[in-house]
Amino acid sequence: MFYRLSGVRHFSYTGDRSLYRIPFERNAALALLAAAILAPWIIGELTLTSLVQPWLIWTSAALGLNLVVGWAGQLHLGYAAVMGVGAYAGTHAARSGVPWEIAIVLAGFASMVIGSVFSIAALRVKGLYLALTTLAMQFVIDWSIVHLSVVSGGALASLRAPDMSLLGFEINGTAGLYYVALAWCVLVTIFMMNLRRSALGRALMAVREKDYAAEIIGVRSFVFKLVAFAASSFIAGVSGAVLIATYYHIVTPDQFSTQVSIQVLAMVIVGGLGSIIGTYLGTALILIMPGLVAALFHGATELFDLRIGVETLAHLPNAAYGALIMGCLLWEPLGLGRLYHNMRSYLIAWPFGYLKK
Amino acid sequence: MNLSDSAPHTLMHLVRDNARTVPGDIAFREKVRGIWRNLTWAELERMVETCAAGLHGLGMRPGRAVLILGDNNVRLYAALLATGYMRGYAMPAFPDAGSEELAHIVGDHDLCAVIVSDQEQADKAIELRRRGLQTGVIVYDDDRGLKDYAEDRMQSWDKLLRDGAAALAEQPDLPEQWLAALGEDDPAVLVHSSGTTGKPKSILLSHRNVLSVGRACIEADVLEPGCELVAYLPMGWIGDIQLSIVNAFLGRCTVNVPESQETVMHDVREVAPSFYLATPRSWENLLTAIQVAMEDATPLKKRVYRFFVDRSVERERRLNRGQSGGLGGGMIRWLGDRLVFGPIKDKYGLSRVTHAWTGGEAIGEETFLFYRAMGLRLRQLYGQSELSAFATVQAAGATKIHTVGRPINGVELRISDSGEVLVRSPGVFAGYLNRPDATAEALRDGWLHTGDAGRIEDGELVIEGRFSEMVSTAGGQRYVPTAIENRLKFSPYIKDAAVFGAGRDELVALVCIDFGAVGHWAQINGVSYTSYADLAQKPKVYDLIERAVRDLNASQPDGLKIRRFACLYKQFDPDDGEITRTRKLRRTAVQEMYEPVIEALHDAQPEVLTQARVTYETGATGSIERRLELREI
Repeated sequence: MFYRLSGVRHFSYTGDRSLYRIPFERNAALALLAAAILAPWIIGELTLTSLVQPWLIWTSAALGLNLVVGWAGQLHLGYAAVMGVGAYAGTHAARSGVPWEIAIVLAGFASMVIGSVFSIAALRVKGLYLALTTLAMQFVIDWSIVHLSVVSGGALASLRAPDMSLLGFEINGTAGLYYVALAWCVLVTIFMMNLRRSALGRALMAVREKDYAAEIIGVRSFVFKLVAFAASSFIAGVSGAVLIATYYHIVTPDQFSTQVSIQVLAMVIVGGLGSIIGTYLGTALILIMPGLVAALFHGATELFDLRIGVETLAHLPNAAYGALIMGCLLWEPLGLGRLYHNMRSYLIAWPFGYLKK
Repeated sequence: MNLSDSAPHTLMHLVRDNARTVPGDIAFREKVRGIWRNLTWAELERMVETCAAGLHGLGMRPGRAVLILGDNNVRLYAALLATGYMRGYAMPAFPDAGSEELAHIVGDHDLCAVIVSDQEQADKAIELRRRGLQTGVIVYDDDRGLKDYAEDRMQSWDKLLRDGAAALAEQPDLPEQWLAALGEDDPAVLVHSSGTTGKPKSILLSHRNVLSVGRACIEADVLEPGCELVAYLPMGWIGDIQLSIVNAFLGRCTVNVPESQETVMHDVREVAPSFYLATPRSWENLLTAIQVAMEDATPLKKRVYRFFVDRSVERERRLNRGQSGGLGGGMIRWLGDRLVFGPIKDKYGLSRVTHAWTGGEAIGEETFLFYRAMGLRLRQLYGQSELSAFATVQAAGATKIHTVGRPINGVELRISDSGEVLVRSPGVFAGYLNRPDATAEALRDGWLHTGDAGRIEDGELVIEGRFSEMVSTAGGQRYVPTAIENRLKFSPYIKDAAVFGAGRDELVALVCIDFGAVGHWAQINGVSYTSYADLAQKPKVYDLIERAVRDLNASQPDGLKIRRFACLYKQFDPDDGEITRTRKLRRTAVQEMYEPVIEALHDAQPEVLTQARVTYETGATGSIERRLELREI
């Protein structure tokens, strides 16, 4: 209905391969971006810092994981550890006087190096074995961070990150920090969108579908898996550093535990493998839903004056939240991104049932 | 006359004028391998000049001819212009013409070159040469599949332009010389009559002919200056030359050339033209495509679609009768455009169409109203090759469906005593080339005898059919049976019809119901039946057909209303000799076969007992005896 294509034509192949072929979609994306830029004036400070900002940061991180899981088809259970490497690397660099803009990049490279080194070993196995190997990486890195006091400053220590400043400007206001997170998220999104129409992206997809078939047609699957891990680790590292610099302000080992790895993976799977908009939606569901469900239960107990034990009250939302995720995946196994895609197809074909190719 | 003195008086002067005034504007857009390539007016002028110089090098002189063969493309248009520029005969042919037909067209013309688009057309040109016809040099545009051809005097378009450019570099004043020698009475294009009867005749149109009609078309708002149009109708048809060259150049429009015939639908969507001309058949096919696609949609979508289409069509019907559309109707129409019509038009690239046209034959009322309801102000035009394409067009507001509009500026219209449409205009050709006999028949005292039967109704022309098919009733009223039958067949329930009444007081009709459509209707409306013959005799089916006949009668003059009809017990069948294999009615055979029924209809009997011979597929014959109801209206 809204997706109008008549009159859309191209005078060069570059134009023909533009990100948004449908004007409506391009306008919608630009409108969303404008709304995101104006967000500090539109929505309250509390919502901005406690919901929108973490949503953007975790979305950037989840997009990085989606690169490995969704695009290259390799299961990764140690993603949080890679983020942790970046978080510690960035914080240490910043504390030792390196400007944040360089510290963030350093964080990315540190994660990339460690992630790649691990994956060189891990990628010799496939499937569930790979999953287990990446899980092992999670534990090894966790252990290292906790036990190397050079890194963590001790098992129970927490390191304070210096105040953010970029290019000589102090960034301390809510809006400033939000914009840093937004900028990073937009950057990762643009990278991921372009992946779809780049040689790298197509190679990754070939590897995902069948790695030895890709090998036969000349795609060196090991190399591309490695590239996927490296790129994803870089995104993880920067996201970790941005998370500390703009949101947590303090880095502790338990911020990047196994549970977090699982959570990011859940964001990717609920959102949809290989789907960018799905990653946004999946992250929103995983991040925001627990709070909403808990609030709902608390509201309900107060409204109906239910006598539920504190213990039960703490667990019930979790159970409901779990059921919600299961429901989502039962309803649409391909994730929330798929739901969006279905709606889009419906509107594109409207009022016909389908489009003739 | 000052204005016309300064205005370009030939196509090449027009190209020159545009290239000087708006050199950077886009004259042509052509889709090549998936993307659109622009050609500005300055580039077009250069291309035509270079092509002319190239043709000059191949021996092109005034009076020689160039055959242009292929699907629409910029190079073929340029070759056509270049030939006219050199005062030669540019002969665009239909791309699907067989070599037999082409041999007729080429005839004894002094061909200097054949410009072909691709291998398929090159093969035809080579075949012409094998037949011993003079073809001159074969110049091909797309060299795919032609690399291994060892044909003499055959070269690529690029070589033609290279040689032309070299010649121009040597003699840069050639274009000026040619332009100075070019006058408005020199040939612009040589098209050919369809040739359904005998050899195709060459119709010579001068620059004055085509330009005068072109200017009148723009004054009549056939297209809007500066618009976008798609050149997808064959170049051999004068209408395409008139629109894609003359009108487009006069209006400085951008002509979009699709990549190939197969991609037209897709390319039209990419262009989203504001001008769109299609035959009634194409519009009907598109309507069917839309309806079929809607059949496959979900019940919700179907309901939404029906809601808006039914109401909007009803509103158009009221407007058509001169009643008010109503505020509610207007709102539904507006909402429908947002929800249903807009998306549908978008899918077929019609969303920007402001000038939608049809012509050539009558269009069904349902089709017409449907597109009007969609917001496409479909209009009809009428014309012929002999008068440079167009003579009458409907005005923007007109909603009369059975007329073809008023004469455009400069066109005088007259109905001869025998009922033939006569036209006098600056667009009327000077005569068939080398056919003085045919010319004398078509042109008498400056009036072109169109061969169409028609009448004038409130200043608007109504075409009744081919003049040669015209007969008259006892009351002296002339009519063309085929035209009435075709309009009866607009009803989806009527498969075939035969109208009789020559020399009688009234018209009567034999109707063959459409088994599929009426059967479906019967199913929905709870009419039980056993066979075609049984279904055809159901009173409710007679009511159904009566409504269709009444609809037709509403637009018929008094003496030409169908008074009585009968639904036949069988469909017309080529095996029984009632229709030809191409489903054209064999009137005399039908008249003989159904003599008793026709007589009974004229005698106003309530029913008739009839016996008919049936030929089975095995070749055996049998006969059926039937009682037929005759319905009076």
